[in-house]
Amino acid sequence: MLKYSLRRSLAVVPTLLSLIIICFFLMRLAPGGPFTSERPLPPAIMANVLERYGLDQPLHIQLWTYIKNIVFHFDFGPSFSQRDYTVNDLIAAGFPVTLTYGFWSAVFVLALGIPLGVVAALRQNSFWDYIMTGFAIFSQIFPNFVLAPLLVLLFTLALGWLPGGGWNGGHWSYIIMPAVALGTSYLANVARITRSSLLEILGAPYIRTARAKGLPERTILIRHALKPTLLPVISYMSPVFVYMITGSVFVDVFFSTGGIGQKFIDAAYTRDYSVILGLAILYSVLTFVLNLLVDLAYAAIDPKVRSGLK
Amino acid sequence: MTLLQAENLSIEFQTPDGVVKAVNDVSFSIGAGETVALVGESGSGKSQIALSVLGLLAGNARTSGTVTYQGKNLLEMQQNELNSIRAKEIAMIFQDPMTSLNPYMTIERQLNESLEQHEGLKGAAARKRVLEAMDAVRIPDAKNRLKAYPHEFSGGMRQRIVIAMALMCSPKLILADEPTTALDVTVQAQIMALLKEIQRESDMSVLLITHDLGVVAGACEKTLVLYAGRVMEQAGTLDLFETPSHPYTRGLLRAVPNIQDAVGDLRSIAGQPPNQMVPPPGCPFAPRCENRTEQCDRELPPLVGDIRHQRACWRPVEELV
Repeated sequence: MLKYSLRRSLAVVPTLLSLIIICFFLMRLAPGGPFTSERPLPPAIMANVLERYGLDQPLHIQLWTYIKNIVFHFDFGPSFSQRDYTVNDLIAAGFPVTLTYGFWSAVFVLALGIPLGVVAALRQNSFWDYIMTGFAIFSQIFPNFVLAPLLVLLFTLALGWLPGGGWNGGHWSYIIMPAVALGTSYLANVARITRSSLLEILGAPYIRTARAKGLPERTILIRHALKPTLLPVISYMSPVFVYMITGSVFVDVFFSTGGIGQKFIDAAYTRDYSVILGLAILYSVLTFVLNLLVDLAYAAIDPKVRSGLK
Repeated sequence: MTLLQAENLSIEFQTPDGVVKAVNDVSFSIGAGETVALVGESGSGKSQIALSVLGLLAGNARTSGTVTYQGKNLLEMQQNELNSIRAKEIAMIFQDPMTSLNPYMTIERQLNESLEQHEGLKGAAARKRVLEAMDAVRIPDAKNRLKAYPHEFSGGMRQRIVIAMALMCSPKLILADEPTTALDVTVQAQIMALLKEIQRESDMSVLLITHDLGVVAGACEKTLVLYAGRVMEQAGTLDLFETPSHPYTRGLLRAVPNIQDAVGDLRSIAGQPPNQMVPPPGCPFAPRCENRTEQCDRELPPLVGDIRHQRACWRPVEELV
């Protein structure tokens, strides 16, 4: 397993490298630059600024310097738009925020979605099943940008229970609404996937074998049915996890959490090359790490996958 | 002594298209230590009979009649009462070893869980029993294969595991639902020999469900021939093979390829089994029968005759083609 993880990690290096190169050139292709403004700077000052940030160099030299700094100094360069801040600073400030509420959002989704799906499957076509299905449909027509204002209307303006935005060092009352707004539609999907997966598994011949052993239904559910039921949930959650812990741009902006999604938007507006590149690299590394984790989770559940890894 | 007695057992399924009558008025008994065969083509309801005995029918099934085991009707038992009989008193060997083992659990866990459930056995004592059962079904190198998963075994080995699983609590009756159908011929013979040997040693009763008359011939004392969920003929196995008295049984026997006249076409029974949603009023086999009369189309023949050899046919045996 360790060997497999190492092999996978090595394989990601060329992927990352090509990603950096593509992003680097893509951004230079976009019109304007970090220092373009409506009133052009005097040419002498402009030249000074460009020199200060190394933008006067030919593109391939710029790229080479960028990669060199990452590899040898783990330095993602200075921010072009926020003076005195480096990309490392910005990520260090924003990422813990999104990671925190993203993590709780994932907990919210799994801890509620899986039991909901299980109950709906066990009580198929009952009241609870219909409630769950109804909820799933509602959460689809209430995406986070509709849900978030509604949450604020209810819990901040009407009831006054929760703060309507900000972060406050990650106090729990500031986490709840971003986490719920971010997670709700995924929660419904997880419940739906769990339900149909469990229904399918309960019809499998090996569940009948378990019944023929005289095991109580609860034992059959937990010992025999749960693991295979979770496989499609894990597949579904793999990209969702990445999305969650890198934060939703909307949730960050709406709740003013100071998370990383907000920084991405700002950087795109101001052509802040280094910040965009840094975030793109962060996203892809996270995608890779979580995909690896999901594959390992798969292996932990499915012995066939496990023997394939050896 | 009768161990299991089914009387007028009927099973029907509610489907969106209507009610399917899978099994109609089937009666049979299995004595202690006896092997009884249920023979019929696919869809004749034979597997459903076995499933109904253990209460494992699909949710849309309705049963009537009685299946008596130790004075109690299994069809009306509560779930927890049934659970105390399953595996402990009556165990089942399923048809397809590829799908009837849980792919996510080790062999040992799948074998020892019925011990844990019914006898409270765990740890070393349970492992000892598991190894004994694996030895009994001749799984080589059992000790090192306890932690293996089903996909690491061949089909024949998996069926041995399924059999070992049924033997774990030394049940009095085993329902063997086509135990060799999914296996290739040489392995089939091994598995049947194994079953017979285990039965002789432990004096279990077996209800053997199969479509393979060759399997029946060597293994069973009594045979019931089913067609469209009805018993067409029942007799001692030797008797049935020597004097088959129902056109369907004769058709089945003729369809068994014979090594002596291997050249030529394979024989079959022309036609298809009837639609069990709207069964014909008369004999279900009539549309495919060479001996059909007008009465056969109109009226259902009752199962009659000496208890040792019964048949459901309007035509006298002597007149059959």
